[in-house]
Formats: sequence, C-alpha cells, structure tokens
Amino acid sequence: MRSIITLKYIILLFTVSLFFSCETEFIPETNNEPPEIVVEGYIEGGDSPTSPYVILTRSIPFFNEINLNEVSDFFVRDAEVTVSNSTGSVRLQEFCLSELTFEQRLIVSDLFGVSADSSSLDFCVYIDPTFSMEGEEGERYDLLIEVEGKVLTASTLIPERARISDLEFMDVPGIPVDTLRELRITLEDAPNEANFYRYFTNRNDEGLLASFNSVLNDLFFDGDTFEFPLPKAEESGVEFDFETFGFYRVGDTMEIKFCSIDEAHYDFWSTLEFNRANQGPFSSSTVIDYNIEGGIGIWGGYSSSIRRIVVE
Amino acid sequence: MRYRFLHIFLLCCFGLYVHGQTFTISGYVEDQSSGESLIGVNVFNQNNTIEGATTNVYGFYSLTLPSGKYTIKTSYLGYQDIINNLTLDKDIELNLRMSSGVTMEEVVVIGEEKDQNVNSTEMGTVALPIERIKKLPALLGEVDILKTIQLLPGVLSAGEGTAGFYVRGGGPDQNLVLLDEAVVYNSGHLLGFFSVFNADAIKNTTLIKGGIPANYGGRLSSVVDVQMKDGNNKKFGVTGGIGLIASRLTVEGPLKKEESSFIVSGRRTYAFELAKPFIDRTDFRGTNYFFYDFNAKINYKLSNKDRIFVSTYFGRDVLNYQSNVRDISFKLPYGNTTATVRWNHLFSEKLFMNASLVYNDYDFSFEGGQGDFSVGLFSGVRDYNAKLDFEYYPNARNAIKFGANYTYHRLTPSVTSATNGDIEFSNDLKPKFAHESAIYILNDYKVSNKFTLNYGLRFSAFTQVGPYTSPLNGEEFGSLEPVKTYTGLEPRLFGKYTLNASSSLKGGVTFTNQYIHLVSNSNSTLPIDVWVPSSDRVAPQRGIQYALGYFKNLKDNAYETSVEVYYKDLNNQIDYGESFINDPAVEVEQEFVFGRGRAYGAEFFVKKNTGRLNGWVGYTWSKTDRIFPDINDGAVFPATFDRRHDLSVVANFEITDKWEFGGAFVYGTGNTFTPVKSLFFVEQSVNVEFGDRNSARLEAYHRLDLALTYNPKVNTDKAWKNSFTFSIYNIYNRRNTFFTYNTFETDFDAGTTQATALKVSLFPIIPSVTWNFKWNQK
Repeated sequence: MRSIITLKYIILLFTVSLFFSCETEFIPETNNEPPEIVVEGYIEGGDSPTSPYVILTRSIPFFNEINLNEVSDFFVRDAEVTVSNSTGSVRLQEFCLSELTFEQRLIVSDLFGVSADSSSLDFCVYIDPTFSMEGEEGERYDLLIEVEGKVLTASTLIPERARISDLEFMDVPGIPVDTLRELRITLEDAPNEANFYRYFTNRNDEGLLASFNSVLNDLFFDGDTFEFPLPKAEESGVEFDFETFGFYRVGDTMEIKFCSIDEAHYDFWSTLEFNRANQGPFSSSTVIDYNIEGGIGIWGGYSSSIRRIVVE
Repeated sequence: MRYRFLHIFLLCCFGLYVHGQTFTISGYVEDQSSGESLIGVNVFNQNNTIEGATTNVYGFYSLTLPSGKYTIKTSYLGYQDIINNLTLDKDIELNLRMSSGVTMEEVVVIGEEKDQNVNSTEMGTVALPIERIKKLPALLGEVDILKTIQLLPGVLSAGEGTAGFYVRGGGPDQNLVLLDEAVVYNSGHLLGFFSVFNADAIKNTTLIKGGIPANYGGRLSSVVDVQMKDGNNKKFGVTGGIGLIASRLTVEGPLKKEESSFIVSGRRTYAFELAKPFIDRTDFRGTNYFFYDFNAKINYKLSNKDRIFVSTYFGRDVLNYQSNVRDISFKLPYGNTTATVRWNHLFSEKLFMNASLVYNDYDFSFEGGQGDFSVGLFSGVRDYNAKLDFEYYPNARNAIKFGANYTYHRLTPSVTSATNGDIEFSNDLKPKFAHESAIYILNDYKVSNKFTLNYGLRFSAFTQVGPYTSPLNGEEFGSLEPVKTYTGLEPRLFGKYTLNASSSLKGGVTFTNQYIHLVSNSNSTLPIDVWVPSSDRVAPQRGIQYALGYFKNLKDNAYETSVEVYYKDLNNQIDYGESFINDPAVEVEQEFVFGRGRAYGAEFFVKKNTGRLNGWVGYTWSKTDRIFPDINDGAVFPATFDRRHDLSVVANFEITDKWEFGGAFVYGTGNTFTPVKSLFFVEQSVNVEFGDRNSARLEAYHRLDLALTYNPKVNTDKAWKNSFTFSIYNIYNRRNTFFTYNTFETDFDAGTTQATALKVSLFPIIPSVTWNFKWNQK
C-alpha cells in the first residue's frame, strides 16, 4: 500500500521538479506551550518474551539546534511506574546510564540500542529489575505512571503471534544485481478478525530498525495466506536511493522480527508514520493517535515472530 | 375554473397583466461577421427603458409591448447600436445582426452592456468575455479563464499558480463549473496549474458568486458557467497559437451557410516530447507527461423555431513514469469527458424552451508498481443528465424561467487493487449510485421604474440507490432500491432599488443545497480526491447567503463601481478527522467529520470600461471560520482559505494601434497553516506534534505579471493576422511560499538534533512568448 500513500508525493515531486522551485530556510514562530510527558513503553511476548520497560521524556519546542543534554529534565525522573496484568503487577525501577557501572552500561546499551559512552546522552529507562513479568500472548497489560502530581494510564494487548510460513530472497526487480536481493514474506493471516502488524529488520546484529512504513493491517487480505515484498528498514538519515532502497545485501545475516500488535498500537504508528511522511502542500497536519491518557506517546504490546536468515 | 385559478395565480404571483392589446417583438441577436449568437444584449424601448429584454445564452430575446409606435434600441458594448422604428400592430420577428466595427476613437471593452451592473437584479455576477481575458498576462503564456476569475473580488486563488478557487468562504467542491451545461468535476490540468478550458473554444464565462438564480443548483457557493463558441456560420476560419508549453488550433466554419456551423478546437502540451531525446538517454526512458483538450461543437437551425446544438469536450492528463534500473513504473491518466445535446424550440414568440441531454464523466486511474508487484487505483464520477428549461416572457416587465432537471450519478470511490504475481487483493469498494432531481421557477419582475424583484424557488431531491451495503448496519439494497433520500427547498430572492440613473441598491438571500461532496485533506485538491454522495452517513451540505450591494456608475458608464457585503452560513460541512491517514482499504466517508462554517466579508470593485487605459481594482476583506466538534477540541478555527485581505489590480493599456500592454498585480494575506507545537522522541527519532488547526500564517502573497501584445497588421483587411504576446510572470521575482516542511538530523547518542524549517516557493520570474494567428476566409 506504500505505493498509494506515496503517490501524491511522487506527483508533487514530479511537478515541483518540472517547474523551478526554490527552498529557503526560515525560523518558525515558537509558542511557549508547557512540555508534555512522553511515554515510550513496550512489553513483548511471542518468540522472545521480554519484561516491560518505559522511557519517560518531555516534549520540547522547535529549535534549530537541539541539545538534549541541555534541555532541562529531558528525561522524566522519579516516576512511579507500575505494570499490571490479570495475574499481578510489577513496579518498574529507574536506571540512568550515569548511575551504572561500565558493565551494566554495556548491558543497557545492548538492550536499548544506545551508546555506552559516558560522554553521550544520559539515557534513563524504567525497567523491572527482577524480570518477573514477561509478555504473554492473549494477555492485557495496564500501565500506571504517577509523577509530578500527574497520573498517566494506558493499556495494551499482546495478540497471538503472526504466522510466517515462508521467507524467501529473490532477484531484485529490473536489471539483476548480483549483490542485492528482495525479500518476500508469506504470511498466514488469521481469518475473521482484525489483525495488525509491525516489523523490524536487523542487519548483522547492528540493531533492530523499523521501516519508514512499518505497520500494516489486514483489511485487504483478511484470512488469506499471501506473499509480499518486505523492504529492509534503513537507518534514519540515510540518503534515499531507488536503486538499493529496501533491498538486502548478499552475505548479510538478517534478523526479521514480524510482530502482531493491537489496534491502538497500530493506530499510533500508522498516524505517526503518516505524520512524518505527509509534509508540504498535501500535509493534513496529522494528529498522532496516542494510547496514553494524561500524556502522549505509546504503551505497546508486541507478539513477535523472529527469523534469522542469511541473504543468498 | 382551472383557468380562473391559473389567472389568479399569475396575477398574484407575477403581476402579469398589462391592460390593452399587446404584441411581441422577438428574435435572435448575432454577430454580423461570425454569426455567433450574442449573450446579454439589451433590446429596449428607447423612450421607456424599463420596457426591455435581454438575450439569453442562445441569443434569443422576447419583448411584449402594448400596440403602438416604438423606437427599439439594441445595445451591446463594443458593438454599434441598432435603432429600429416599428409600428407594433402584430407580432414581429426581428433578428438582429450587430456589427463590432467600432468606429469610436476610444477603446471599448467588448461584450458588456452599458449600465448592466446597475440595472440588472443580478448580484455578485460577472460576465467575462474571452477577448478581455486574452489580453491579460498568463503563466507560461497559457490564457486561463479560471485564473482570471481569481482576479475578481470575493474569489480567492487556491494557491500559487493554480486554477483552483474558493468563493466567499466556500470550499473547493462548492463551485458548480459548467461547460455547455455539463458539470466539469475536475477543472484542472497538472495538479490544477492550468484549467481545462481552452480559451480559443470559449465564447463567454459567467461567474455567479452571490445571488445564484433558481435555475442553478447543486453547489453551495458559486456557478462558473462557460459557453463554448458555436462556430462561424458565414465563413471558414482558423485560429491558433504556439506557446512555450502548448499549442492550440481551432477550425470553424459553416456547414450550411447561415444555418449550420461547426467548431473544432484542440490544445496539447509538448514540453516532454521536446525533452525526449535527453530522457531516452537516462534511466527514465519512457517517462512522459502531457495534457490535451479537445472541444467540438456543431449547431443547426432546423427551422425558425428549432435549433440543435451538439457539443463535446474531451481532455486528459497523462503521466507515465519509468525508472528502468529497478523496474519502477506508473501510469496516471485522468480527465473529463462531456457531451451535450441541446434542442431550442420556440413554442411561441413568448415561450422559449431548451431541452438538454448531458453526459459527463471524470475518471482518474493509477497503475504502477515494481517488478511483479503492482497497484491499481480507479475513481471517478459519471452523470447522465436530462434538463428541460423554459423561458416565458409574458410582457416587458416579467421574465419567467421554469424547468426540471434530473441526474443519475455513478460515483466510484478509490477502488484499489494490488497484484503480486498471481495473487490479487482488492479493497472491494463498489460504485455508489444516486438520483438527483430538481424543479424550479423564477421571475425577474420589474415592479416599477425603481424597483425590480427576482424571486424563485427551487425544490431539490436526492436519493442514494442500490446496489449498496450499509456500513452502519450491514443492510443490503438491491439495484435502484432507495437507500436514503434527502430533499431541500431553496428559495432565492433578490431585489434591486434604483436610486438614480447611475446607481442602485441590491440585496438578496440565497438558500442552496449540495448533495455530492469532495473533501481534500490538504491545501489543494488533487485529481486523486474523490466525490462522494450524500448517504446514510453523509448529510447534504446546506448554505444560506445574505448579500447587500451598492452599485454606481460614474462618468457616463466609464467607471463601474460596487460595494458588496455578504454573510454566509454553511451547515453540514465536511472534513477529515484529525488523525486521518488515507488508508486505501477504508472508504473516505468513514473518515469524515462534520461541522459548520461561516463566512462574511466586503468586496470593493472599481472597473474602468473605456479609454485606452481600462481594467479594474478589486479588494476583498473577508473572514471564514469552521467549527467542528472533532477538530481542535470543538474550538473555532480559520478555514484553510481564510484570507483577510485580497487585492487585485488589472490593467490594459493600448500604447499604439500595434502595441498593447496588460498587467495584473495580486496581493493576499498569507495562507493559514497548522504550526508545529512541539517535538518529541520515540525510537530515538524526532516526531512532530502539531498545534491548533490553521493557527499560523505564511507571509503575504504578492506578485506582478505583465504582458505586451504586438499586432503587426492591425486594421488591415487581410485574411491572415497574427500577434505576439510577451508575458512575464512574477516580474519582481517574489519568492511566495508554496508550502513549508521540516527536516531533522538526529544523533540520539550525542543527544543532538538539527531541525530545519524550510519554505518552498514555486514560480520565480518566468518570461514567455506566445504567437497567435488567425485566418479568416474572405
């Protein structure tokens, strides 16, 4: 469906390039709105169940140069964060990089994909140090955050994991290239229910990345088993190149993580990705659908199906 | 008994009765040299100007007067007056041929009648003859009637360079654009940068932004009524032009001299064809873009009482994109087709009828993909329309129109399918069907020498019919089975009070209903936006407009001035929800939210009609708000096209016989946009949270365009004439912002982000030259 969503932009790019457009930088007006608390928390079941974790930050005004180290209280500290399900609840505990030993830092760095370097941003996260709660399929998880006199709540469901029946690398479309492959995934969608998916790719254990168009729903293919291309996620800031975009490099070891998610979780990513992609004259200034009461952000459950495959 | 009732009805409602014996003068008015019928010509009793008639769109007039001797004057600005001394003791058929051979020294703007703005009951109505439009500067030399309309007060351009427009706070779907009575659903080429109207095939354009008479309906805010030329019925002619991006050719002539004529006109762009040798050497071999228009019309006089007109329009935009290395390609053709068959019949010298059968179709399709994965998308509108319109001229004081209109709509939503090798998916959206019908009656009634009333009533009905499955409750409807019916009464009332010979006050109220809708999620409408019918989920848009105007002509009609104020209430307005993401699997109706709109403003207009220097200045002060419970937490917000100040200055200056200068300056308050409220991080990337809807503005828009036309062989009798128009768009190279966007570069580990806000402007200074030619058989 990517093609349709991007259709407008192709037309636009085409038109703009047809004429003589010109870009200039400007400083937008800033309004001094009080910052909001941003929740980013996940719990995962499926092939690799994990404990819940939550990152609490603040929204910041639009400035040209932003240095999070200088933004006062970018990370929200001293919050009481509780996750509960039908069987009990756990209290998450705050850890900041600067408070950890080097060995502990390496673990956090590995888990959250942040730098362990002491000169980098002092990253803080709330985790369950006992690892007593792990995500389970079919289970609902409620999040409660109390901080600075505010109460934030959210709820997410970990659905049944997605059934992947095949992953296959094929020649890229167009002129064949020895070094590039396209990945086809075959998915068995569960019939008669609304299913939502999000996927990540991880090249040579460099870290999981989500594609710029990482979510899909089954409105087009409810109950079907079908095959479709799954583009490789690219690091943000990488120059877009039609010749290589979304393709896999022969010899790489890829981890493909394909997750079932619930509807509110899907809505968050789909509106966020539409918001990111829809700028310019066709922007509808999409309001992101958060599933957090009392703040913004996401509390998301994943049910993962993970495959490791060498690109051939 | 029945007749007595009818007499009482006519007496009460229309004041039809004039004492004594009366007779009728009637006929057609046409151009002496081409035989083109002339629209809006005044035929009147010179000694008592209240006793007058105006020719309709077919050039027909009918004037009923008591028996006696009369001096009948026929007057049309730019043409020589005709005086006929008549003894009226029987009905007289008087066909008039007006000569445009202006012998006066002054330059006269062709095609308008004197004091028309002061004397008619029409409010917020402007007729733009094509000759006037052709003298104005044009983007890339392409003369465009819809862009000229934007230079009038109360009409706002939808954006840089576009032919899209907003009228008095109404949305872009609230304009009824008609080409020879056929609705044109998408009037723009190339994202709206050019309109679909080829100026060489057009005779007349009328914009009604205020008092929409009862014979028009179906849209809330305005009517743009475009008439194609009939074709010269006396001699053959060829007109054409070669411009920077497009060329035009028109051929017209008699099929049977003075009885039947034809016109065929085409226009096509070729920029990409010129670039083809270069494109073919790149990876994008096969990429092409062009648009074309084709207009054709024939007319035939069957008898003195019967005329037939057949006209058609066909236009397409074709965009083919090809990137061969990775086998990415798409084809994107879209366009309109219209066909109109009209039969004029005179039942008597007082009763004129036009019966029309109209077909129109707009379709958009997209087919593209990569390798064996492809996506197809199709949407469109198709109408079958039958109309019956009567004009009855019982006496010199009343002009009654009544009629009926029926349309069968077929509205195709974005039907999307995807194929991947042998597997095919589809969103299974089905076309929707509807009947739309209306009956109307109106009378233009000259109550006294000072007071004229135009009152009318339109009753409209809309029924969505099956096959249809309701998304609300799953109920299924069979073919043509009614799903949901809406009706509406639309009273229209306008009055004119003459203060003195050169000034008048006018006021009016217009109720309008709109049953089919197009909602755009962005600042500009796109060919991909779909029309949707009123249904069990979508209620009709309903509008009321109140308007008041003061009209004054100065210096013996050399200057026309007017001030009009309006207030408009718009109900059941439609927008997309705030979190709309354009999922092709979901019907757009499901994403709609509903609210109200209001608009008010004042329009000032000064127009100089005569002299070597002529033109106009239009200024609009306006405010347009929207209130939607589901947008902005229910708070009032400015509409996307809310613009406080809008100024247009348009001038033509005849420097010498051979050189003519044209200029247009526009100034408008900057467009609204929704600003960034704050930034936040998830997955270590920056994201944007938007603030209140449309709560910020771009800087003001302004631009000056100039044109110089050179006629090497003016005032010669040669069959062959040509001219050059040198045009400069945006002469002082103003960088008007077309849109803004943001870019971010984040290094999360270092905790730094570089955020850049960029504004993009589209057209810098653009010079162009167009060569126009004309050949007429001698």
